[in-house]
Amino acid sequence: MTSILADNLTKKFGDLYAVDSLNLAVEKEIFGLLGPNGSGKTTTVLMLTTLLAQTTGTASICGHDTRREPDLVRECISYVPQEMAVDPNLTGRENLLIFARLYGIPNPKDKVDELLGIMELTDRAHDLAKTYSGGMRRRLELAEALVHEPEVIFLDEPTLGLDVGARQNIWQHIHALNKKGMTIFMTTHYMDEADKYCDRVGIISHGKVVALGSPAELKARLMNTVITVTLEGNYSPVQLDGLVFVGQSGNAYAFTAENGSEALPLLADALGRAGNRVKAMSLREPSLDDVFLQSVGKQEEPRGFEEMKFRMMLHRRH
Amino acid sequence: MKGVTTYIYRDFIRWIRYRVGVVSALVLPAAWLLFVGCALPVTFTGNYLDFITPGILVMTILTAGIASGSLLMFDKILGYLNKFLAMPVPRESILVGKILFISIRGLLQATIILVIAVLIGATLMTPLQYGLVYLILFLFGVFISSFSTTVALYLEEHDSFAAFSAMVTMPLFFTSSALMPYDAMPGWLSAIAHVNPLSFAIDAIRDVGAGSIPAVPILLLLIVTAVVVVCAGYVFRKVTI
Repeated sequence: MTSILADNLTKKFGDLYAVDSLNLAVEKEIFGLLGPNGSGKTTTVLMLTTLLAQTTGTASICGHDTRREPDLVRECISYVPQEMAVDPNLTGRENLLIFARLYGIPNPKDKVDELLGIMELTDRAHDLAKTYSGGMRRRLELAEALVHEPEVIFLDEPTLGLDVGARQNIWQHIHALNKKGMTIFMTTHYMDEADKYCDRVGIISHGKVVALGSPAELKARLMNTVITVTLEGNYSPVQLDGLVFVGQSGNAYAFTAENGSEALPLLADALGRAGNRVKAMSLREPSLDDVFLQSVGKQEEPRGFEEMKFRMMLHRRH
Repeated sequence: MKGVTTYIYRDFIRWIRYRVGVVSALVLPAAWLLFVGCALPVTFTGNYLDFITPGILVMTILTAGIASGSLLMFDKILGYLNKFLAMPVPRESILVGKILFISIRGLLQATIILVIAVLIGATLMTPLQYGLVYLILFLFGVFISSFSTTVALYLEEHDSFAAFSAMVTMPLFFTSSALMPYDAMPGWLSAIAHVNPLSFAIDAIRDVGAGSIPAVPILLLLIVTAVVVVCAGYVFRKVTI
């Protein structure tokens, strides 16, 4: 059965489309929802986890409609928000025990000990959570999310703010959970992580899915090689057969070409003729970053801060 | 029910671990009782301590109850609320847990005040009288904490809520019958005091102290509390869907 199904899922805040006709089908896999800030990732997660009502469209988790059978949906999911919400003045064990009791687990103490073991927290189980490192807090949250053995886990930016080692460790755990048959739905900003660990990713921009597929597929669509050019000063556009401008990040400009090593000198000449001052050029295989840049285009920060809209979103979110 | 008791357990541990909070919750009412009850030169009653104790009791429940909203607010801001809302536990148990925790904590504070009051010279009451006092305080606690929770659910930031609670607490206290009887008040104050919900609870406790059973006030308090609880539940449902 499809774990997560979204059919024309739409959320409007005032006249702003936070999520616009989202269609998605997620199986027992690790699915990553990628997108720039404010693209609708968190709004999507909140709708799928029954925390926010959509404006139109439907969503179902494990075959249960999120609006009509929210309780059944909540039985089979876990939601780990961005905020690292563990009670700092409670021990790790106490934090976990509260979740086990809330879920009505038959032998809460045994379950808690088992999960502390799995998440490598047994040694520190009786310390207050405020003495935990960021990685340990995340593992504690994962343990909380596993108490009732859910079928689908929603993780909002699970590795945000963690150091490299802790991030890797979290990913190992997520991977192991997926191997045991859980569906993982996560949002992230880290393209390299999504590339490495997600079975499939969806890229969302302005509330719409603009790319969907496995990281390998998406990268293959970008053709063979990426040429990155670092310029000094402004970019005057150039036209060359077989060369596609992908996007820009700072003063680095990315192009793709079917045969990169042949295209490189041609591009260098063309750029020079057009009056560009080239500082550096490099050739590499495409990464998910390139896919992302091409899909969402050059990101513009919203110009003015729209107080009303922001307040409205805050209000609806909670 | 399991959900409610677990939420109460969580708030209790959090409160106890936060030692300054415990000390302040217990010392503040005691200080009021000692300084106001023993220091004011009062001529309108024989035992001012017996007169002021109900006022201090209700004020303590008031300040404790207003804090209920801020407790929920922090859960909301820090992300706990969303986590709890995504669980199959009946969502209302979050609200009921908060209201009960605050009310029970208020009764603990009330016990301290009652003990100190007797130690420094208030009249000892019968168990039935104490039972009635607790009943009135409990109802009043549920009333106030439901009210403040409802307000907190509407307000966005903690600052707004802090402003709200400062705006409500002191004026309510000083315009109630806590400090002086109605006939010692100026006319305008007496008029306000008569409709102040605080006076209502205070007068009921004084009636108990005087030896009567204030059945009508208790019944009214029960009805008003029930209405506010239903409102809180309605608003909670509305903002969490």
